Amino acid sequence: MKNYRISRRNFLGTSAAAGLGSLTFPAFVTGCSSEPRKKVEVVAFLDQAPDGQELKAGLIGCGGRGTGAAIDFLNAGPNLKIVALGDVLLDRITSCREELKKQKGAEVPDEKCFVGFDAFQKVLDSGVDMVILATPPFFRPEHFAAAVEAHKHVFMEKPVCVDPVGARSVIASARKAQGLELSVVTGTQRRHQRDYVATYKNIAEGMMGEIVSANCYWNGGKLWHRDPNPDWTEMEYMIRDWVNWCWLSGDHIVEQHVHNLDVINWFTGKYPVKAVGFGSRLRRVTGDQYDNFSIDYVFDNNMHVHSMCRQINGCVNDVSERVQGTKGYSNCINTIWDLTGKELWKYEYPAADDGQPGTDLKISPYVQEHIDLVNSIRTGKPFVEAENTAMSTLVAIMGRVSAYTGKEVTLDEIMNSDLKLGPKVFALGPVDVPKEAPLPGEAYVPGT
Amino acid sequence: MKKIRAWFLAGVVVGIIIIASGSVAVRRTSTNEYCASCHEIHPQATVSWKKSVHYNTKSGNHTGCVECHLPPYGKGYMAAKIKTGARDVWSKWTKDPASFDWEERSRLEHAQKYVYESSCIACHENLFPQGLSKEGEDAHIYYTSKNKPEDLRCINCHLDAGHYIEGYVHAGNTAFVKPMQANLPVYTAPMVVRQFESFTEQIPGSTISFGMMKIPGGKFRMGSPGDEPFHSTEEGPVLEVQVDSFFMAEVEVTWDEYLAFYAQTAAEGRTTDSEGLRATGGSTDAITGATPPYGQPDQGWGKGKRPAISISYHAAETYCKWLSLVTGKHYRLPTEAEWEYACRGRTTTPYFFPGDPKRFEKTGIRARISSNDTAVINTYAVYAGNSRSKTQEPDFVAPNPFGLKNMSGNVAEFCSDWYQPDAYSKYPAGQLVNPKGPTLGTERVIRGGSYKDEAGRIRSAARDYTRTEAWLRTDPQMPKSIWWYSDCFYVGFRVVCEYDELTGKNRQELAKEGN
Repeated sequence: MKNYRISRRNFLGTSAAAGLGSLTFPAFVTGCSSEPRKKVEVVAFLDQAPDGQELKAGLIGCGGRGTGAAIDFLNAGPNLKIVALGDVLLDRITSCREELKKQKGAEVPDEKCFVGFDAFQKVLDSGVDMVILATPPFFRPEHFAAAVEAHKHVFMEKPVCVDPVGARSVIASARKAQGLELSVVTGTQRRHQRDYVATYKNIAEGMMGEIVSANCYWNGGKLWHRDPNPDWTEMEYMIRDWVNWCWLSGDHIVEQHVHNLDVINWFTGKYPVKAVGFGSRLRRVTGDQYDNFSIDYVFDNNMHVHSMCRQINGCVNDVSERVQGTKGYSNCINTIWDLTGKELWKYEYPAADDGQPGTDLKISPYVQEHIDLVNSIRTGKPFVEAENTAMSTLVAIMGRVSAYTGKEVTLDEIMNSDLKLGPKVFALGPVDVPKEAPLPGEAYVPGT
Repeated sequence: MKKIRAWFLAGVVVGIIIIASGSVAVRRTSTNEYCASCHEIHPQATVSWKKSVHYNTKSGNHTGCVECHLPPYGKGYMAAKIKTGARDVWSKWTKDPASFDWEERSRLEHAQKYVYESSCIACHENLFPQGLSKEGEDAHIYYTSKNKPEDLRCINCHLDAGHYIEGYVHAGNTAFVKPMQANLPVYTAPMVVRQFESFTEQIPGSTISFGMMKIPGGKFRMGSPGDEPFHSTEEGPVLEVQVDSFFMAEVEVTWDEYLAFYAQTAAEGRTTDSEGLRATGGSTDAITGATPPYGQPDQGWGKGKRPAISISYHAAETYCKWLSLVTGKHYRLPTEAEWEYACRGRTTTPYFFPGDPKRFEKTGIRARISSNDTAVINTYAVYAGNSRSKTQEPDFVAPNPFGLKNMSGNVAEFCSDWYQPDAYSKYPAGQLVNPKGPTLGTERVIRGGSYKDEAGRIRSAARDYTRTEAWLRTDPQMPKSIWWYSDCFYVGFRVVCEYDELTGKNRQELAKEGN
């Protein structure tokens, strides 16, 4: 996919995220295949963002993840401030303000709190340096495009879109952001997680040979749902219940499983060329989404990757990735084994407070991604992560469309598709979208 | 020793002077004024440049001639300058500027020879500037992807960047169809046909009518014998074919006719079924017509009675379905056999008019030096020898024996047969009745040749075929249009109408056929 000219910035701008681009990696390792051991550079992570001029951020989307992201941002270093809030719903702003005050003593004045579908524009116009985009994913491409047009640095949550039209918009906005030397980090935090990055480095350097297959899983429980409320319009209800509606979330393979698919794309340094999958809706309570998907992704050279995701309570859970190499395998997060199961390498976690061997990172990846972003902004080394995330989101969409239709879907098809979800009119009223879960294939008709 | 040093210094000085004067010469011969001193022979060169966006930049910086017409420094600049300069000097001395068709030279096929892609990119480093439209984003994502065709250049979409072109557009062209002439009567009903006679069809709800000629059925020899000049093996073996009576349009479907369809059926948005069976139902009776074109399907040659071009096979088929619906008759594309039968008009010669293809052909040294008598072919056909590289209106030519115009030349025409080079040899021996071609294929037959073709390619038996992928190569849209070819301007189509109970065939005749 990545045949376009790679600008100087793409190479030099990776300081904040240390060889995280699958874009630059393959050329790097194949360029010296004759050498027994390749060298892959990853930049050391900072424990805290460097100090600098006050960085004023606006938060667009003040729900749970938005509020969490705002607090992670404030925890990333000195002189960071949340100065404006925007949301479609007033009560989300109220609860976010309370939480910011309680946890960080941060106050946002009334005149910098904006409510409505145009709140994002008002936040962008309120004198901020950067924005945190954390609304339901449907709105992301539009908000990202507006932020780039307004020359703002961006932290945005994954997934970055719900359909191919949105994916292309995000890719184009990402390239515009590169032209403007902005910094953009997306919430695929595994790329900012020290154990993952260390494992990536060892695999890229050939510790377990060439990757020949992979698996990834987000098998977990039900997330949450809201029941309709007679006081709410349909739009308000759907937005409150957004993780259950495909047009808002992209379905759970896109909304949640994109994390794992992104890891596979990152570690293999490429994207699948086609997908065949299926899924169904067995126990979901509201909305129009499925609650399980199983997708066979095919990469070039006929390499297969199996992806599984489920949101049903009371089943066996597993959220992980696994890559198989010619000389070993890895869980992507912290360990590499040889083909006999002998441990070749294990990530060394910092010691716990009591001096015992640790099992956790000291810096949460959710904070680390903000440290990386603020570092990139304050050191003037622009870094734009969004295109990788848009492609991984598109890969998830490809799987979803295959499951919904029962058809094989190629990356070319999905890349060129004009599929666009969601209603045409945005107001707190009825929502003109399909509300039934899609059915693949044909029904049996008696007598035929 | 001193002497040597003096000579050495003198040499250095002379060297510097030569290099400096050389670089002065390069600079002096690269100014806009210097270019214009010769290129004023086509006066629109400077005028159109000054009307273009490259002259009227926001920053007030004029992009000069050599910045597009030569590659960037260090990327073949000098070599190109020497080559271009030598060619220009030669042309200046030996050629008559009036003999050039400057309009033709400014079209893409020629322009791409002297506009350097590397120069575009040297200035336009950032293909994703702020304010880039959604269409621009999609087009530039495609341009920077691995799917970019080799021959997709900046000027495929930005042809008017350096020289203003009246009416040029490379964008969603919703203004392509202007309101129709209001002072003409609008037809409220189609023509009623009660017997097998030529008639004038009327398109209800429009001001458009067109002639339909009766083509009485009969037998003919389809294809060409091996000794026919320019014969190709795909034209043989010669087949004994019988076709039934039908009606055929006097002229290739005109822009007026096609735009009547477009105006009544055009759909703004495209649809997709990639989200499974969510959207159930939906009427299949109504015809959804073409989406607005991207760019300029008529190439700026004019619409009106010129044949509609850039129309996809799918669009042509849909047009026929629509025409059938609004006229209450059965219109469709001709089969290859019907097409050749109608073209020949009972002649058995290479053309339906007298003459030897070899005497009309302009290629080859012999043809170039001998003056061929092309008076006859010029009367009947629009082809490379007389077309000025574009389509012409039907009045340009005289009709064939069935009263049909432009069967040979002007634009090649779709047939409903799948194309196979060996289709003729696959038929069973003996008399064929209404053959319809192979049952499977990927491309369709096109017949008749076009304004671009030399005389040998517009013979009655000459066969050709659609090239779907190449004809959509530079469509930047996602997905590519199913209605408009972005890269094919030499193909159009002609409708036939069935002679059946809807067009006056009576019960006796129908019963007779039943026997």
